[in-house]
Amino acid sequence: MDLLSNLALGFGVATSLANLAFCLIGVILGTLIGVLPGIGATATIAMLLPITFQLEPVSSLIMLAGIYYGAQYGGSTTAILINMPGESSSAVTAIDGYQMARKGRAGTALATAAIGSFFAGTVATFLVAIFAPPLTAVALKFGAAEYFSLMVMGLVMSVALAHGSVLKALGMVVLGLLLGLVGTDIYTGAPRFTMGITQFSDGLNFVAVAVGVFGIAEILRNLEDEHDREVMTRTINRLFPTREELRAMIGPILRGTGIGSVLGILPGGGAILASFASYTVEKKLSRTPEEFGHGALAGVAGPESANNAGAQTSFIPLLTLGIPANPVMALMIGAMIIQGIVPGPNVVTEQPELFWGIVASMWIGNLMLVVLNLPLIGLWVKLLTVPYFVLFPIIMAMCSIGVYSVASNPYDLFAVAFFGLLGYVLSKLRCEPAPLLLGFVLGPLLEENLRRAMILSRGDPTTFVTRPISLGLLLASLAVLALVFLPQIRKRRDEVFTETDA
Amino acid sequence: MTMTLTRRILLGAAFSLGLAGAAAAAFPDRAVTLVIPFAAGGSTDVVGRIVAERMAQALGQQVVVQNVGGAGGSLGAQQVAQAEPDGYTILMGTVATHALNPLILKQKPYDPVADFAPVSLLVLVPNVLAVNPELPVTTVQELIDLAKKEPLAYASSGNGTPLHLSGELFKSMAGVDITHIPYKGSGPALTDVLGNQVPIIFDNLPSASGHIASGKLRALGVTTTERAPSFPDVPAIADTLPGYETYSWNALFAPAATPPEAIEALAAAARAAMADPAVAARMAEFSATIVASTPEELGAHVKAEMEKWAPVVTKANVSLD
Repeated sequence: MDLLSNLALGFGVATSLANLAFCLIGVILGTLIGVLPGIGATATIAMLLPITFQLEPVSSLIMLAGIYYGAQYGGSTTAILINMPGESSSAVTAIDGYQMARKGRAGTALATAAIGSFFAGTVATFLVAIFAPPLTAVALKFGAAEYFSLMVMGLVMSVALAHGSVLKALGMVVLGLLLGLVGTDIYTGAPRFTMGITQFSDGLNFVAVAVGVFGIAEILRNLEDEHDREVMTRTINRLFPTREELRAMIGPILRGTGIGSVLGILPGGGAILASFASYTVEKKLSRTPEEFGHGALAGVAGPESANNAGAQTSFIPLLTLGIPANPVMALMIGAMIIQGIVPGPNVVTEQPELFWGIVASMWIGNLMLVVLNLPLIGLWVKLLTVPYFVLFPIIMAMCSIGVYSVASNPYDLFAVAFFGLLGYVLSKLRCEPAPLLLGFVLGPLLEENLRRAMILSRGDPTTFVTRPISLGLLLASLAVLALVFLPQIRKRRDEVFTETDA
Repeated sequence: MTMTLTRRILLGAAFSLGLAGAAAAAFPDRAVTLVIPFAAGGSTDVVGRIVAERMAQALGQQVVVQNVGGAGGSLGAQQVAQAEPDGYTILMGTVATHALNPLILKQKPYDPVADFAPVSLLVLVPNVLAVNPELPVTTVQELIDLAKKEPLAYASSGNGTPLHLSGELFKSMAGVDITHIPYKGSGPALTDVLGNQVPIIFDNLPSASGHIASGKLRALGVTTTERAPSFPDVPAIADTLPGYETYSWNALFAPAATPPEAIEALAAAARAAMADPAVAARMAEFSATIVASTPEELGAHVKAEMEKWAPVVTKANVSLD
């Protein structure tokens, strides 16, 4: 059996004392830096990349991979505790995770995230091992038309994210789409909405927008009323989930893992969609959708599993094609080249110990994360008991450092300030920041692929329905739309709406 | 309190005196910052980091790599152009920052000649014309013939990049029309050519080399006049279109008015770095040709490149605000 011998080779490489140590260092560094608000995996790896140059190629990639999922994990922790997602995927975790924390269930939320991530990581690792080559073939079938239809589906789903007025959710999506337009038009090179500032010519920085509308806005809201805080910190004692809670999270974790694994392999935006898609699915399937947005366990378990599964499977295009699915993977490619490895389809056959070593180390790293983080949850939760006048300046300073470190661009800091104020105003208007972020992320991809598909088809719009995968995705979007506007469901939504307002 | 303050002032004074003395004696006496005007992980970043490591050994000081990406390299170049001209802030310039952007951009954020002191031209990197193997052509001539018969499209890493202009130069010299499909970087462009969404690509040889070696891409020709040592079987495009030549390059620049001693020290360190056999081996794997020029040669090179690209830019009608 090929797979078994390959996995044996991989575990042989990954469990050497040195590689275990580098994996551990990676996940610890990743967790620590990921826990700092505003600093996500991209910034972390970019900062730590030079450290790996002196190492063996396998060890350095194992360590970088460890930093990646460690930081992703740490990012969820800040999303839950202080409403500060460091990555687009943890933006969804912030919605219900933070509400759970406010209700004194921070420990449960963190434990749920840990368990969901570990399960998803395990499944996705084996998917990588078994299906890497065939899945790659699927990813290559995705051309501009397919991506466009996928983005349409993502945007349609985002409406279901909102737990209030559909109209406000749509408004937020559109605002996000417009913000996503800022920057240089890649087809004509014309700058759009940059106000003549060269620093915005590559668009607004996602981390700056996310930290602003979620984090800074939350700080402003808290400064308004400091009594909330005491309620929140009084009841955080219980860390581990009860049996009922465990039962309640099984379904979301399984579904999240499936969604994340599939979407993670698509380069560009696939992994981002996963957590949003999982949240939508959980909300639709839930018997108590009104809980979503107010601390629903499934709203943490599903998206967290999806984002971790997506994080693992996004290694598939990297390892089998040498093509990065996201900025972190682009950094990994840089690390490989510096180590003298030419990324590409030959890596699996020419350097089996590298490929399988990394695959095996992913699972080991996930195990380490759970072992490491379950005991640490108590410590992280204690963060919440730090008084405002100490915590807020620290968060602000960390955010500023984190955002600046992404591109050394001072204008990103202005963006944080602006979006902090915007986020505060939006929260006063009871508008949700999550659909805005989704629009912001998906908008540019939607436009880029729409125009590319049209250029490739020489202006023939039927390209979107004559290509089978694209047609399938569009039909699925229609189905979601129908579901949203089905009378019965609509009635239920109205009930939720009234409840929110009451 | 008074004591500490006085002592601090004294220490500070002693420190700055020491700095001034050392600067006159030997450059460098502290870490040098190498600004890379592109995101980490790209080919310029890789060359920069490999060189920075060896230059640090030659200089006896740390060389700190700082990625200042954005606006096709213009932001990082602008930052160095405006930096203190003391030799402690240098730029990893490219054909984009020091020839194409200044020609293409309507608003010029910096002058590639007047605002910089050249240090050393480090490497030349060939580009490559490659197709998806399902496209029924095996030579440059066959591609030209096919393009005259049916509509084709080519992918590049973006509008106004060296690869886009390599494609435009090819079109104008071959007298064919091929639709340009820009992407955000080489990665996504490669993906679509591998998946046969777009049949043709102009790419940096280093980024495409893995796919050419594995047969997932068919290389028709390199853009340099000589064949690349790493791919001796791939002919030069110039064999079919005499006079066709483009390549990317990486070179070190300091801000204008940097003291000549500092420039000399940096150039010597760069040459020492490029002479290191380990660096040479990495560059060879990377399909890059080592030049390691003097500051004067780099200055002449920049002028030659701007003269070469100006007519291509005009002809391709590429201009960005």
